[in-house]
Amino acid sequence: MPAAAPRFPDWIRRPWPSGKSFEEVKQLLAGLDLSSVCQSAHCPNQSECWGRGTATFMVMGNVCTRHCTYCSVHSGRPDSLDADEPAKVAEAVRRLNLAHVVLTSVTRDDLPDGGANHIAAVVQAIRAVRPDSTIELLVQDFCGEDDALRTVVGSAPEIFSHNIETVRRLHGSMRDRRFTYDGALGVLRRAAEWRGDFGFVKSAFMLGCGEKDEDIDATLRDLRESGCHAVSIGQYLQPTPKHRAVQRFVPPEEFDAVEKRAYEMGFLFAVAGPFVRSSYKSETLLAAPGAAARLTGTSS
Amino acid sequence: MSAYTVTLPSLGDDDDAVNGGEVSALLAPLGVELAEGDDLLELTTDKAAFVVPVPRAGTVSSWQVAEGDTVNVGQALCLMEVSE
Repeated sequence: MPAAAPRFPDWIRRPWPSGKSFEEVKQLLAGLDLSSVCQSAHCPNQSECWGRGTATFMVMGNVCTRHCTYCSVHSGRPDSLDADEPAKVAEAVRRLNLAHVVLTSVTRDDLPDGGANHIAAVVQAIRAVRPDSTIELLVQDFCGEDDALRTVVGSAPEIFSHNIETVRRLHGSMRDRRFTYDGALGVLRRAAEWRGDFGFVKSAFMLGCGEKDEDIDATLRDLRESGCHAVSIGQYLQPTPKHRAVQRFVPPEEFDAVEKRAYEMGFLFAVAGPFVRSSYKSETLLAAPGAAARLTGTSS
Repeated sequence: MSAYTVTLPSLGDDDDAVNGGEVSALLAPLGVELAEGDDLLELTTDKAAFVVPVPRAGTVSSWQVAEGDTVNVGQALCLMEVSE
């Protein structure tokens, strides 16, 4: 009998996480009762990132008040906030000796400020123990509320990120209806305006969901015109059979071409590839040509 | 030399962590000296294919799983002969 066809093309292949550094990160997160998006999102890069001694912290619990068709984070009614979480994340950063920290969160529409002050408190707690660490903050849209956005942007992460996730044409079928394409552009535009010369504004989206080349180019243009300095683009991978199906596995050379087009459109930093995720190797942006001036706010 | 049971490593204590997959290929030949980190077997989850590495230098003496089996974290994959 002929062997069954492989379910994935040969470029969708990763090491199963294991090893000493991986175990250390695993034990540390469990010991401090912290969540990582690496686990909740079934991220295929978990071996590589945890093996390098880094993880993406997911604060405010692991239950989201919104439901997107591609996302494996649970939807429902979240628990109340853990007031000790800022200190726990800071302790994890200290113990892992992280020079660069990526923070993200579930969306918390149940909280009056969407959790903006809690997130800012986490940033502040990290600054207190590791003032030299750089931080990427990947946040939700806070229903477009200026006050909440000002709070998280004002916490001054070196990288402020809000993901547009997909192209305009597919946005409505993939994201919770409370997220809108133009709403995401509005978040990015305001963040870029309020940040001025300091730091970076970044977004990310997935391919393999049914988008066409013209959709991709339009989204890149929209992000650039909204003031985004950086973009990351990866393959959508279906986390469980209950989630939206993958339409196509995009070959690595097509990702290379998209990355090239992003640079041609003026992004300071662009990375595209099958396993690129919004926070994957986040720190490489800070070493991009021209990045140093933006870290000191002297780019103009 | 001693016998060593290789199990599928856990990806974390979080309830959401991936907890297993389907064995899509047995990659290590039986009885051949292997180094730590060499390819042991390939596992397919909903999201991607993963290569499980050999955890210790030695030889695989017998498989505890077959291609097409579904395995969970902590489950025995094979028996190895390893140095003390």
